[in-house]
Amino acid sequence: MNARFEKRLLLAWLALSAITIASLWVGSLDGRGGLSANAAITFGVIAVALIKVRIIFREFMEVRHAPVLLCRLTDTWLMITAVSLLGIYFVGRATS
Amino acid sequence: MTNLASVRSGPHEIDLRAAASYLAKSTRFVPGQPDMWAFVLFEALVFTGYFGIYMVHRTQNPELFLGSQAQLDLRIGVLNTLLLLVSSWSIARCVRAAREGAYRSALSQAYLTLFFGIAFLTSKVFEWSREIHKGYTLSTNEFFSFYFFLTGIHFLHLLIGFVVLGVVVYQLWSPARRSQLLVETGATYWHTVDFLWVMIFALLYVMR
Repeated sequence: MNARFEKRLLLAWLALSAITIASLWVGSLDGRGGLSANAAITFGVIAVALIKVRIIFREFMEVRHAPVLLCRLTDTWLMITAVSLLGIYFVGRATS
Repeated sequence: MTNLASVRSGPHEIDLRAAASYLAKSTRFVPGQPDMWAFVLFEALVFTGYFGIYMVHRTQNPELFLGSQAQLDLRIGVLNTLLLLVSSWSIARCVRAAREGAYRSALSQAYLTLFFGIAFLTSKVFEWSREIHKGYTLSTNEFFSFYFFLTGIHFLHLLIGFVVLGVVVYQLWSPARRSQLLVETGATYWHTVDFLWVMIFALLYVMR
């Protein structure tokens, strides 16, 4: 297999796995009192999840080499998901 | 000063940047069948709908959701995600190997994908049985209804993924078949199972 592509795939997988393992650190932030609501953590977690999905799209699913339309469609889905999830979370917090 | 973006050769001037851009555009391709991409984007939107409904319920009762989320084992969620990520990496390598005609290697990568998919399935069944044993079921509360619904519908997609992987292996097995289009289409579906899980993991296990 082309060594350059092989290395790129390996780096993408390593980055995705490292970010996933870092989630354990988020889990260690709460003490014995249980989990508590935290807007900054939620924002970070959703943003990082969407970045991970974008890496999967572009590197694993080869959207990087796909026609511009497909790149835009996948990015549009990411934007719709980001705006709806974060919007619902922050509006819900502000009104409750 | 020499313009690096252009090369003069007699009366003709070649703009290297424009040529590179043209070449990049002309070599762009849709991986797999466009129909599969339409399905992937449709499914992704449907899941965004599920996630949105989950978020609405979560913001209405944050204490209940946080208290129930604490009953899940984050380490199992991390393991689930790592297993699907490594399976996605394998199927991506399978596609590249098949494209270069290295079918033996492609077949090995497809088997690895299958192996990690089965490992995910096993860990998910273990996690469900653990939660049920602790007394948490679909009807326990809103959080666990969403937990079993989202992981359950994802599980269904995973099972379909095994059929798709079967098609990929069938294609790679015999020199008489080996349709690169079908291999790429199958891989696109498998990656969808992966990226949907990445979102589910963030929303059920990690967010606050």
